[in-house]
Amino acid sequence: MSHVLEMIDVTKMYQETQRIANHKVNLELNRGEILSLAGENGAGKTTLMKILYGLIPFDEGTIIIDGKKQNIKNPIAAQRLGIGMVHQHFMLVDEFSVAQNVVLGNEITTKGLFYDSKKNNKRVAQLIDEHNFTIHAEDKVARLSVGEKQQVEILKMLYRDIRILILDEPTATLTIQEITSLFANLRRLKKRGVSIILITHKIHEIKEISDRVCIMRAGEMIGCYETRNVDESFISKIMMGDMRTKIEKSPLKRSREAILSLKSVTVMRRHQTQPLLDDINIELFGGEILGCAGISGNGLGQLESILLGALPLSKGEITYHDELLSTTHQRATTRKLGLPFVPSDRLYIGSSLEATVSENMIATSRENFFPPFGIQKKKIYQHTSSLIKDYDIKATPHQLIGTLSGGNIQKVILAREIEKIKDLIICSEVTWGLDVGSALFVHKKIVELRNTGVGVLLLSSNLDEILSLSDRLLIFSRGSIVAHFNETEIPHLTKEQLGPYLLGKATKGLNR
Amino acid sequence: MKRKIERFNPFVYMIRSLFGMFIIVMISLISLILLSYFLSATPKRTIYYFFSGPFSSLYAFGNMINDAIPLIIGGLGVSLAFRAGNMNIGGEGQVYTGALIATIVAIALEGFGEIGVVLSIFLAMAASGLLAGFSGYLKAKWNTNELITTFLVSNAMILIVNYLISGPFVDPLTNLISTRQIPEVAELTLVLPPSNLNTSLVTALAAVFIIHALMYRSKTGFELRMYGNNNKFAMYAGISHTYYQIMPMFVSGAMYGLSGAMAIFGTYHAVIKEFSVGLGWNALAVALIARYRPFAVIPAALFFAYIDSGAHSAMLYSDVTFELSSIVQATVFFLVSSVTLQRLGLGKRRV
Repeated sequence: MSHVLEMIDVTKMYQETQRIANHKVNLELNRGEILSLAGENGAGKTTLMKILYGLIPFDEGTIIIDGKKQNIKNPIAAQRLGIGMVHQHFMLVDEFSVAQNVVLGNEITTKGLFYDSKKNNKRVAQLIDEHNFTIHAEDKVARLSVGEKQQVEILKMLYRDIRILILDEPTATLTIQEITSLFANLRRLKKRGVSIILITHKIHEIKEISDRVCIMRAGEMIGCYETRNVDESFISKIMMGDMRTKIEKSPLKRSREAILSLKSVTVMRRHQTQPLLDDINIELFGGEILGCAGISGNGLGQLESILLGALPLSKGEITYHDELLSTTHQRATTRKLGLPFVPSDRLYIGSSLEATVSENMIATSRENFFPPFGIQKKKIYQHTSSLIKDYDIKATPHQLIGTLSGGNIQKVILAREIEKIKDLIICSEVTWGLDVGSALFVHKKIVELRNTGVGVLLLSSNLDEILSLSDRLLIFSRGSIVAHFNETEIPHLTKEQLGPYLLGKATKGLNR
Repeated sequence: MKRKIERFNPFVYMIRSLFGMFIIVMISLISLILLSYFLSATPKRTIYYFFSGPFSSLYAFGNMINDAIPLIIGGLGVSLAFRAGNMNIGGEGQVYTGALIATIVAIALEGFGEIGVVLSIFLAMAASGLLAGFSGYLKAKWNTNELITTFLVSNAMILIVNYLISGPFVDPLTNLISTRQIPEVAELTLVLPPSNLNTSLVTALAAVFIIHALMYRSKTGFELRMYGNNNKFAMYAGISHTYYQIMPMFVSGAMYGLSGAMAIFGTYHAVIKEFSVGLGWNALAVALIARYRPFAVIPAALFFAYIDSGAHSAMLYSDVTFELSSIVQATVFFLVSSVTLQRLGLGKRRV
């Protein structure tokens, strides 16, 4: 009976795209419960929470807090009502201390004018103690890890006496240990009577942490369930609307000649002796998926940069068939050559947010649409429309791509790059941040390509992805390749077994 | 599941995107009306002549359109450069330089007839193009800020041209600081006598079509806009950075040069000291108002010319000074830089 929050028939349509993000959505939140708000990308979870936090206006519906109808115009009004939100991307001043960040906007001052650092520090330290957090009030935020920065964000909310805490995909960038301690913190908050809404699409976390789960799909609330009464496959089924299928791989048919090869590629940083990439040798053959895995900061990022031609080689060479793409002190010409490439940064490198879907679609094959004089608008429209249909992208050709959800943007990029494949594609963090349905779609596409003889270079820090897709696997640690697994070994590998290699504590199969 | 999906309607979008501009123009015109009550003893008369003056005679009307021509040409160049993410604010010096080169080449090549005239226009465009292209080159080479370099180069050129027309190229037969008159073959035909409106109008309109085609109907234009939108994405798509840092700057300079040449051949017939003051800045403002769309440059330039012309007539028939037009133009210039105002009709951006 005693709901702290009720949202009734909330409807929101984005004017620019005429897209209905929320359609008559109802949500109830009890005092002291952890509620997971689950759904695929673009299901409308974040929109609903932004409405609650006063970040975006809604068209219809009612929001009731503690039994009273409220009109939440902006985040300040939301905070006054006891609603706080921690965004996926933190909003912190790196140069300030933890305490300064926490109190910013509500500082304790002397004579109403001067910042009283002693009192502020004390107050924040007290708050940290109260909640058993691991950070220190006087630490500079710039020096904190991602998990610790998240603690600062949560503290910011607690300092403002928040009773409803919204967390937007809080575990997306955390390590396993950090997730464990976050969950412990959330449970403590729950005991103190704080109600928590977690936006997430990680199903095992829903099971682990939440009391109830509400699942959204395509802008509508499908249902709310007691978590203990539902199992993981049920949740994923409801989220996606259909059952998962397993990816079938045909027998490996590797080409005889290497398509892409990197020979003793080395990247040095100025004034440092430890190279970012140390003597990397890779040969990619047709018809195989070659996985490259590593914990972030261990060289995969640099590997992507040199393949993109954004970073010059300090030593070594890259060849595509017999063509030399780059050698010592040069940037690779992969991009001028137009080799299919799905970059990890899909928002700023892989797409142009201010351009339309069709402009993005033709960007890397533009020569096909511009005869010597003029433009083939009809051909562009047809090309884009057919790709939109083939890849089930929720968009129209003339829509700005920045108005699409992350999953749909990634599909645009994939469609564009796959369309121009000859015998090779390079993919980096190809399913990062995608929901289950989109990720499965992408994985199927990649296997399909490999079955038709395309060589796929797959850079990924997602071990599930790497293990289920790769035919061969290279493990990167501290800029070097420390392990090589072949197609007979991979089916028997587990994530746990990769641990020592990822941490650089063991090596394997490097004599090839 | 039922879901209402309405199609994106470009026409409605256009109307809505114009709403902000309409408000900006209204604010500036209302400020003009209010100012008249402060500045003028006969405010109603001032306002009447301000608004109706440009249409009171063929002479005034023709001159108004004629004034818009160099603004159209210059504004097109700025638009193109901006679409590639480059800002050229050296218009003042580039117009002036183009005018001088066109004049002295036309005089020197008098014996070659029309060929000499055409050549003088191309050389004027090349000279001004190189001035702006130089800034683009510096940006590509050393990542200097083109906003600063175009401005500095332009200021230096104004002084150099001033020296040249008051020294080496001065016409000793007049009392003005001015070059000699261009040969008769270079003078453009008047189309609406007794006003100054001349055939350079055709050049301006042709330029609109050409720049539009270049920007929206060619591969170069596509690459240029992609580069301007997001240069990392452009790099990823294999689009040359160097080329799109230099080429759009060169073209924008060349357009300024062309507008200088057209002003001389059509209207002034000689480079008179500081004849083009403000033209570069106004063309920039015109491009801003048009939001860098070639066809929108025409009404934007006409609006600026209308304000000038209205102020002229109010000055003649009432008791205000010509600065009234500068105030209105400044108000527009100031307001137009507000993204919020411009997007007024489009609703809030998605966060």
